Amino acid sequence: MSERQIVEVGERLIFAMGGGGFTMEPANPLLDDFVLSLADVREPRMLFLPTASGDTTTQINAFRARFSERACVPEHLSLFHLRDSSRSLEDTVLAHDIVYVGGGSMRNLLALWRAHGLDRLLVQAWERGTVLAGLSAGAMCWLQGGITRSSGPPEPIAGLSILEGSLTVHADGEPERLPAWLASVRDGTLPGGWALDDGVGLLFRGERPDRAVSSRPGAGAQRVDAIEGELMRKRVDVELLGDGPRAALGGFDEAVEELRRMHRMRRGSTRGRG
Amino acid sequence: MPNRAPQIVALGGGGFSMEKDGSLLDDYVLSLTGAGPFGDASEAVLARSGRPRVCFLPTASGDADHYVVRFYRRFSPACDASHVSLFRRDQGTGGVEDDLASHLLAQDLIYVGGGNVVSMLGAWRAHGLDAILRRAWRRGIVLCGPSAGSLCWFEQALSAFHGAPRVVRGLGLLPYSNCVHYDEEPARRIEYHRFVADRMRPGFAVENGVALHFRGTGLERVVSARADGRAFLVEPVGEHVRETPLEVTDLGAPSTAGREVPAPASPKHARRARREVVAA
Repeated sequence: MSERQIVEVGERLIFAMGGGGFTMEPANPLLDDFVLSLADVREPRMLFLPTASGDTTTQINAFRARFSERACVPEHLSLFHLRDSSRSLEDTVLAHDIVYVGGGSMRNLLALWRAHGLDRLLVQAWERGTVLAGLSAGAMCWLQGGITRSSGPPEPIAGLSILEGSLTVHADGEPERLPAWLASVRDGTLPGGWALDDGVGLLFRGERPDRAVSSRPGAGAQRVDAIEGELMRKRVDVELLGDGPRAALGGFDEAVEELRRMHRMRRGSTRGRG
Repeated sequence: MPNRAPQIVALGGGGFSMEKDGSLLDDYVLSLTGAGPFGDASEAVLARSGRPRVCFLPTASGDADHYVVRFYRRFSPACDASHVSLFRRDQGTGGVEDDLASHLLAQDLIYVGGGNVVSMLGAWRAHGLDAILRRAWRRGIVLCGPSAGSLCWFEQALSAFHGAPRVVRGLGLLPYSNCVHYDEEPARRIEYHRFVADRMRPGFAVENGVALHFRGTGLERVVSARADGRAFLVEPVGEHVRETPLEVTDLGAPSTAGREVPAPASPKHARRARREVVAA
């Protein structure tokens, strides 16, 4: 296997999604295609980490469904089923051009990565130009902190701090997160950072935000900082991916998905992520 | 539950997740709460409702749904069964979500499922479950489990889940080492001996279907769901490693199959058989 070499800071990419991709938008591939386009090779080797979900087959199957027919070599790594793999974690992680991290419990995600030494390997991968991508817990983990519901109510949690700032996800889809995040930024528990709606991804080039893209019309992002205890909120410009008709089609499916989610919430079984 | 001795039942493999019929080891574990066919059925448990409270921790499997279902199938008929899912605490899937400590400390039995012990200990520590389980143990809440659910209680565990076997630091409630599934792969035995020869703590090797029952940190009894189940004390002797077979009570033998209470336990370690195996 080809060993990747250390790359310039400006060539290190992290793509953090507030929600979206194959687990949340099965009918809308815009964000996932964008992830593929970030790799510097035509058929990137892509590793999916479903750690935050407890390695559910639901997530793994959704990953396969999305990527098995696309121009890439998809593979997943389950820390709960390592028995199936003879390769070391290091060889597995460092052999990939893209690492895509699914949503779920951020507390468990980081605990498991640390228990297996994966946190270190992911930093090494990033330094070698492997694109790190993910949604929800898999997006917040790269920054200094975020808001998790790993223990039920939303609360601040520290991340890996590869990137400066904090991140909160599902800003529109899970409305109880945003106030918890704003309060944490205001009182200094978390540094200032970004709030992303479902369907919005923020691309970091090196340690700086480069561009924000979206799979859904109307989805937005904001930058928030606390200055002397006051919150300064700025809208971030978001580019809508894809073309009109496809986006519209995606939008229709999303509306159906949204309706289902509301039904589930009413039944008291919300499918929270992060 | 005051004045109850700490108890741990460490299964080398087996219980409801592996045994097809009867799950004798589960019956045995339940008996320690005073319930079930082996229990004395007279304790505070019965004063309360007659149903022991049993909570399942499927962490090592990533909270696999099928495992949770099998747990309820096995325990809900006779027990007040619940489970804690550390991966779905926000999703209202029926697991315990609020105050983990007060829920776990109100149980009669905490049953830990098998899987990846490294992942499980990592997640437990992140949620403070390690400290809660230590308190539960001191209070006399029975702790048990197969495989990862056995390894976790010991100071050191041999994990052969992925790649080369390695030593994992467990919760340390039991000051020994542990090796499970001892009959499954010959490589395990060789590796365990190698580690014990190389400063790993002396400890216990246990086959599938066999369980170590500890009262406090002392080994009270070794029980088996099958007639030929074995467990061993493995310790260094000079430059060698000595493997001593332990006396095993066969739970399926006629006396116990007739639903009689097993013979009174010896207060000390189970007697060791004379036969000794010495390996380099």
